[in-house]
Amino acid sequence: MEKQVMEYAGGNEMAAIAIKQIGYDLMGYYPITPSTQIAENLDAMRAGGETDLIMIAAEGEHSAAGICYGAAVGGGRVINATSANGLLYALEQLPVQSGTRYPMVMNVVCRTVSGPLSIKGDHSDIMYLLNAGWPILFAHTVQQVYDFNIIALKLAEQVRLPVVVAYDGFFTSHQKRRCMRFEADETVRQFIGPKREEYPFLDLHQPVTVGSYMNEPDLINNRYQLYLAMREAAERIPALFAEYGNLSGRKYGTVESYFHEDAEELLVLLGSSYETAKEGVDRLRRAGRKAGTVTLNVLRPFPEKELYASCEKAGRILIADRQDSYGAWGGNLSLEVRAMMQKFGGKAKIKSLVYGLGGMDFFADDAEKMFDILKDPEAPDFAYYGVTPGDAGKTADKGNFFAPLTRERTGLGATTVQKETSGEVQVKGGTLNATAAMPKRIAPGHGACPGCGIPVNLNLLLRAIEDPVVLLFQTGCGMIVTTAYPRTSFKVPYLHNLFQNGAATLSGLAEICYRKQKKGEIPPGDIVFVMVSGDGGMDIGMGSAIGTALRGHRILIFEYDNGGYMNTGYQLSYSTPKGARSATSHVGKMQYGKTFFHKDMPRIMAATGIPYIATVAESNPTDFIRKAAKAAYYAKTEGTAYVKALSACPLNWNDNPATERRVIEAGVNCCYFPLFEKEQGKTTLNFDPDAAGKKIPVTDWLAMMGRTRHLCRDAYRPVVESLQQEIDRRFSLLKREAEK
Amino acid sequence: MTENMYEILQNRDYYEIRLESIGGLGANLCGKMLGELAVRYLNLNSAAFSSYGSEKTGTPVKGYIRYCLPEKEIRIHSPVVHPDLLAVFHQALMHDQSVWKGCGRQTKVLVALDEGQEELSGGLPDDIKECYVVNARQIAMASKSRINVVMLGAIAKVMGVASLEDVRQICRDSLGKKYPDALEGNLKGLESGYEQVRNLTLCTETVSRKEKRSGESQEWGYATAPIGGVNPRFGSTAVADLSPSRQGYIPIFIKERCINCGLCDSTCPDMVFQFSRGEYNGKEMMVNQGLDYYHCKGCMRCVNVCPVNALVQGSEAEHVQKQYFIPNQDMLRVPDYYVESGPDGYITSESYLTEVRMEGGEV
Repeated sequence: MEKQVMEYAGGNEMAAIAIKQIGYDLMGYYPITPSTQIAENLDAMRAGGETDLIMIAAEGEHSAAGICYGAAVGGGRVINATSANGLLYALEQLPVQSGTRYPMVMNVVCRTVSGPLSIKGDHSDIMYLLNAGWPILFAHTVQQVYDFNIIALKLAEQVRLPVVVAYDGFFTSHQKRRCMRFEADETVRQFIGPKREEYPFLDLHQPVTVGSYMNEPDLINNRYQLYLAMREAAERIPALFAEYGNLSGRKYGTVESYFHEDAEELLVLLGSSYETAKEGVDRLRRAGRKAGTVTLNVLRPFPEKELYASCEKAGRILIADRQDSYGAWGGNLSLEVRAMMQKFGGKAKIKSLVYGLGGMDFFADDAEKMFDILKDPEAPDFAYYGVTPGDAGKTADKGNFFAPLTRERTGLGATTVQKETSGEVQVKGGTLNATAAMPKRIAPGHGACPGCGIPVNLNLLLRAIEDPVVLLFQTGCGMIVTTAYPRTSFKVPYLHNLFQNGAATLSGLAEICYRKQKKGEIPPGDIVFVMVSGDGGMDIGMGSAIGTALRGHRILIFEYDNGGYMNTGYQLSYSTPKGARSATSHVGKMQYGKTFFHKDMPRIMAATGIPYIATVAESNPTDFIRKAAKAAYYAKTEGTAYVKALSACPLNWNDNPATERRVIEAGVNCCYFPLFEKEQGKTTLNFDPDAAGKKIPVTDWLAMMGRTRHLCRDAYRPVVESLQQEIDRRFSLLKREAEK
Repeated sequence: MTENMYEILQNRDYYEIRLESIGGLGANLCGKMLGELAVRYLNLNSAAFSSYGSEKTGTPVKGYIRYCLPEKEIRIHSPVVHPDLLAVFHQALMHDQSVWKGCGRQTKVLVALDEGQEELSGGLPDDIKECYVVNARQIAMASKSRINVVMLGAIAKVMGVASLEDVRQICRDSLGKKYPDALEGNLKGLESGYEQVRNLTLCTETVSRKEKRSGESQEWGYATAPIGGVNPRFGSTAVADLSPSRQGYIPIFIKERCINCGLCDSTCPDMVFQFSRGEYNGKEMMVNQGLDYYHCKGCMRCVNVCPVNALVQGSEAEHVQKQYFIPNQDMLRVPDYYVESGPDGYITSESYLTEVRMEGGEV
């Protein structure tokens, strides 16, 4: 056995340690809870010089999977980690990876698939992968996360298939446990062995084509090869487990069981619940009942024989699934166990349960209750465990908290927009005092942090709009803090859709509204459709926003730019300033923070030729209101409008909530965030810090925030100089355009 | 000293600790250190985790730690329901009934006293027999450390199974390498916590506690909830009382100074300012009538932008009767009850926040 040391860590930390020890070449990733910690820990190790892993923060999981695929084709050792909707967004890339036979490893930290959006753990994501052609190892302890990560890569390279290591979000990923790791990275590397490429893609003397166009009769042969590879995996896994067992002293089987030998009643389940179920079994055994429990360490290739060996003697079997294959009357594990029993002629009476969705805790008591359900002849073959009907008597509607915001109530005349005969769009009014009369579209009581800029910016935007509004939020802090069920802050129609799909969704919604109005099915009158995005939503959602802009739908896209994925613990987004620290751009001896410049989103949107683009800041509130009114005018009459606000995040900018407006003002005055509009192709600089005598160097702004304060040190001068140069370059370009 | 814990664990599976805290006090890290302490220095096995989400400033955070004999595997993942030791990181939490859930005769309670306070105000649930207090914030400030290490020291002492040197060592292990500059102060804070925690003779005063309720629609179930997660109760977050988010300060409105410029309304993230049509200086305009303190999180943005000092920062304790307290004017009815809550916890990785906090950040 090789020398090992103890760690006290959660699953994500152990995955990161294994990845570091293996010495992967590249990680392509996109942050999504609860898998994000893997990339965060690796980035911290990078910053400290412990690993030279190339880490590429993609603009979405689809691209992350693409980056991984490209790197794998190139012959690199490649790792990825994701969860839930991230996995689904990447899904179409995964069969390409297996079908073209490029090994890599992906950690799937299991979480509930939206919608409604939940960040907690169940198995609704991983089960989408059953048909992807990837072997799936399922770790039910923190220790296994480490061990399986090491075994997975060796398996992947042996059978030339990509492999998933799956484990429970939060229960396994975040709970800290005593576990062991090899002391020397070399031990791990020797176990895995050197990487061999069958068709080295980068050998220019022997060029190969990867990704053929293939129909019948060839495709079925290609798929048969994939089937054979899965067969091979089934044969190799026991040997790999044994070899690893000799090295570590931890011996695994494809199936794990507890008291199955003489069990009359058997509970089959996946993941961390198996551990808890053992506790339930102990209790029942003490009470004289012959209970046992079984789980799978390998989900693909499905270890049917081993599983049957564990199940054949039991008289009654309950399979509990943390997901449902809706309409199949059981979760996927349940269906597969039933099929296996039928195939091998098992005689047990079988029941299925769906339990623990959305991260609902699973206590040892629950395991006991499940055994009681199994014993109960009256209990149905399939049921949901843990649902509550609710009491109609207690939900009697006591009436709304607010009056609906009718056109009459918002049409104050405080801000008016008019198109002059010259074609110029003029805004009148819009003073802070007059617009204070505008009823807020968002109710108080939302859960944003004290001093958060998001509601401030939304209120400034919406107080300028006198027509009814319909809101759509992409995933992000703004959405999380306003709609935690069973409450909502919105007083107007509101829709949330996935992170990358807001603008497209609102396009469809707006078009139906216009059609219904035309047909007279709903009353006529202007309605302003507003899409709200932030927290990096213009990275993953940029394609959707550009498509919408190019089609010219009459909607307003509003971006609150808080410069990072704040809803998931502040990972870098493309709008994070260069040099800023974040959970995925640590500061250390080998790294100074984020390595590339903040994205110039307004300029990208300008290239689509939409009629109105503006940047706004709460430090210039009347300018903000005027431009919001204009944007709404264009959005309801001409086409897509895009407005971007710099939005404070006291928590992650690490500054004082009370003084956020000054921080925003400094962001404007240093020209990091210049205030301008591009209207029908004409550029206007609304505020010139130079001319106003307010221009400050960017360091003055960076010094105000904990996330960038380190940049003021001498050692980082080149970083700040390059940032200043980029800011100056963008600003002088803007000025030239404005002078035209 | 560890003998004691072995005795306890001879008769049952686990010794369980629950931390009751709010985001920003570092309970998550404290829990991790307590867990690791057992495994590295007490020859025990342990598990440690936090309520998921959490670590936003002001959000309630629970930490769970389980100890057992070293050869036992910890197989359960569920939260601690019946704690042997309950550590309350902020005295304000004592008024929340959910903090005391599952506590009984077996539970030792440790409470961080308010700043400058010598005795615990407000009693404990009747069945609590053993209570300890420590002036955590004061110690943290004096030693330039954080509340979590002071509590770590105090918890270790109350448990009575770890020597001061063991706890010092776990602190060095956890912080020394990553945050060497912060280590000395933290060790000092930890030692003071260990040494200054004291037993409290319990007063018998009974105190009514507020039950945490999730709002008027909590009874929705599959038979009664609108399909698809649709929520027709528009604006229903207005039932939330956000005063627990405040850090002891509120904006005080001095109406006679107000020029009704509206800057406060433009900077408030929480829709606190109540303007209505009125007269100011002989002119008809929107006039600031007052503040909806139910929804004020105490960020002090308004105090910072007010050009005429009509809004000033005041201590909440000194302004129990809030002048110009005007509940949201747009609300058609008063809710059955306001639900005390803090910001929504959603953050699921502590990597960035732990770092900035350790290095003296303001969050």
